[in-house]
Amino acid sequence: MKRLLLVTMLMLTMLLAACGGASDGDNTGDATDMAAEGGDTCMGIAVEPDATVVFSGWGDETEQQVYRDSITRFNEACPSVTIDYQPVPADFQTQIKAAFAGGDAPDVIYVDDSLMTALGRTGQLLALDDFMASADITREEFVPALLDIFTVDGKTYALPKDWGTLGLVYLPEAFAEAGIDEPTADWTWEDLRTAAQALAENTEYGGFCQGADWARFAPWAFSYGATFTNDDWTSATLDNEGIETAAQIVADMKQEGSLVTAADVGAGWCGEAIGKKLVATTLEGGWMVNFMRNDFADVEWKAVPVPSGPEGKADIIFTNGIGVNAQSDNPNAAAAFALFVTGRDNQAAIAETGFAYPARSDQLDLIKDENDKAISEGGTYELTRVANWGPNTGRVNDAVGKALERIYLGEQTVSEAFTQAQGEAQQALDDAQ
Amino acid sequence: MAASAKSPVARKRGLTARERDEAITGYLFLSPYLLVTAIFTVGIIAFALYISFTSYNLFQAPQFNGLENYQKALTDTNGFIRSLVNIFWYVITVVPFQTAAALMLALILNRKIRGQQFFRTIFYGPSVTSSIVISAIFLWLYLKTGYVNFMFDRIFGLFGADWSAIEWLNDPRGLFQLIANAFGGDIPSNLWYLRGPSITWMAIMFMNIFTTAPTFMIMYLAALQDVPPTLYEAASIDGADGRQAFWNVTLPMLRPVTLLIVVLGTIGAFQVFDQVQFLTAGGPLNTTLTPVYLIYGEALGRIGGGSIIRMGYASAMAFLLAIIIFIFTLIQRRYIESGTEQY
Repeated sequence: MKRLLLVTMLMLTMLLAACGGASDGDNTGDATDMAAEGGDTCMGIAVEPDATVVFSGWGDETEQQVYRDSITRFNEACPSVTIDYQPVPADFQTQIKAAFAGGDAPDVIYVDDSLMTALGRTGQLLALDDFMASADITREEFVPALLDIFTVDGKTYALPKDWGTLGLVYLPEAFAEAGIDEPTADWTWEDLRTAAQALAENTEYGGFCQGADWARFAPWAFSYGATFTNDDWTSATLDNEGIETAAQIVADMKQEGSLVTAADVGAGWCGEAIGKKLVATTLEGGWMVNFMRNDFADVEWKAVPVPSGPEGKADIIFTNGIGVNAQSDNPNAAAAFALFVTGRDNQAAIAETGFAYPARSDQLDLIKDENDKAISEGGTYELTRVANWGPNTGRVNDAVGKALERIYLGEQTVSEAFTQAQGEAQQALDDAQ
Repeated sequence: MAASAKSPVARKRGLTARERDEAITGYLFLSPYLLVTAIFTVGIIAFALYISFTSYNLFQAPQFNGLENYQKALTDTNGFIRSLVNIFWYVITVVPFQTAAALMLALILNRKIRGQQFFRTIFYGPSVTSSIVISAIFLWLYLKTGYVNFMFDRIFGLFGADWSAIEWLNDPRGLFQLIANAFGGDIPSNLWYLRGPSITWMAIMFMNIFTTAPTFMIMYLAALQDVPPTLYEAASIDGADGRQAFWNVTLPMLRPVTLLIVVLGTIGAFQVFDQVQFLTAGGPLNTTLTPVYLIYGEALGRIGGGSIIRMGYASAMAFLLAIIIFIFTLIQRRYIESGTEQY
């Protein structure tokens, strides 16, 4: 009896292990046959009859409303497809990875760089190129830097749903109090530093707010002609002279007190520090518009594009896309929905709400708010890029963030910190090969 | 397994029909549990052991790579080794303090005092509160402009001294480093393991002692009420005063519970995760990185927000951690259990 039990348990274990292995690698992520029988056509794609598509993404109540409205618009265009919207406000990436591993994932999902690594590079997402051709959408329509992150081997695995970038956000009253001119679009980082010194010295405001954050440092680095890795993500370039020069200015500003962190002044993040009138300037993005409107409606603030460095103007782009599950039962309907949501008309309708920047170059003039306009200009510079360094992007960026942290704490010099970061980033790139 | 206790006897003289029926019935009753355990515990552990020898990203078939994951874990001084050093400081601080605090609370509550029920409820509060809620509360207390700094500021102010506000959740200076600083020295960052637990790490330790001590207080309280009053009587006849009775009667009688509390506390301490995830994400400068947090990050590709999924590497670290916990538990058993029998 005991032996029998042992054998049964052993067999169960083996069965389980076999199950784990069996589901791998048997899908290639190519577009399935386009000719579904008897269905309607939607976005130029013949969709499966009576298809239900499960759509999932993160987002607060505002974002969920934007997408509920998008679904209503989609249903006007394609009444035969039912969309089941299942938002996951927190820890979306973890849940989606588990759902894909379990083979029970939504048909259409938000895709960020971490999901692109986990799913896009392992054949879990459907290549959208054939569908895009049917729907008459080309890659060239989009703001150039946006598609990088969603492309593997020339194929498009997700389309950008919106994007964001950074601008120089400031309080005009602080500049008036310090008796200096307000920032303009042609400021350099040196101009920012001079102003921050004057602000810190002559007013109660902190001069310039920036944490030990790789994303806020990226516009500095890029405008000094540096990137974090080379273009094919094989070698880290953090020991680059541009990075060290830029980081040295940041370090000096921190040292002299013209640069403060949000914690220094008692705020959760630098945007909040602007709202609470604790600092005079910082680098923030389009989210400031709604944040200030909701939480600090009576604070007057302005934005100009990021300051420029010796190599010109540069900014960082954050973007998320919408992709389709390769295992979807209704791939055509799912793709049609993904293309509709990221499509020209729907993007224009979303831009109307001021919620997000449209991803197409020729739709940028739909951005209404003056501050949004100034911030979004950053997306169009030649040196602007998405901080995407391949499958281990997070670890490369993390190495930069930690280097800045060590510099802020006075633990290491700029060159020591970035020499160490270079090693860590290189390790991350090697691991990803 | 209760049913197997009789099988050696049964085998000796062969099974009668009735005994066989009984055995089958027994296993039938056990089968739902056994099945669930086999599938969701034994099976999963076996699978995890298998993938710990592979490179596996959840979506492509595991690639066998021998002991590479284990080797990588044991040489990764910025990752796994670092997390082990951190957790070592954590365990040797949190376990004694929380055990002592639990005993103290239990002794207080074991007295006949007015409002006993009220205090029991109050003391037990932190334990039944979700760790995320506690973390959120401490997040506010620990702000640079928060109440903890405010309190220190006032206390120092009483003596006319200045308190420079500490960023409790973002201060990597280690305990021994601070001591060295006080004497004008410093410990360089390549000797990080000599710096001791960072201020942030100690802040989290304090929070966890505060949360866990009441849980174990309940166990001590139950055990205290089980100590036979006759022993105290006998002790007092022998002329023992209160302190002697505590050291020679109470404490030895609590020994089995102390073992349980220390072992459970150690295992819990080794597995600390949610507070780190919520408050520090392993920072500043990896001084609050714990093995479980690292395992989670590698398993789900969450290092720095987005990295490759390394299920195999994560599993290897999980097994190494399990081995370490196992060794710790064995040592504790030996030390605490020796001498328990005589009472």
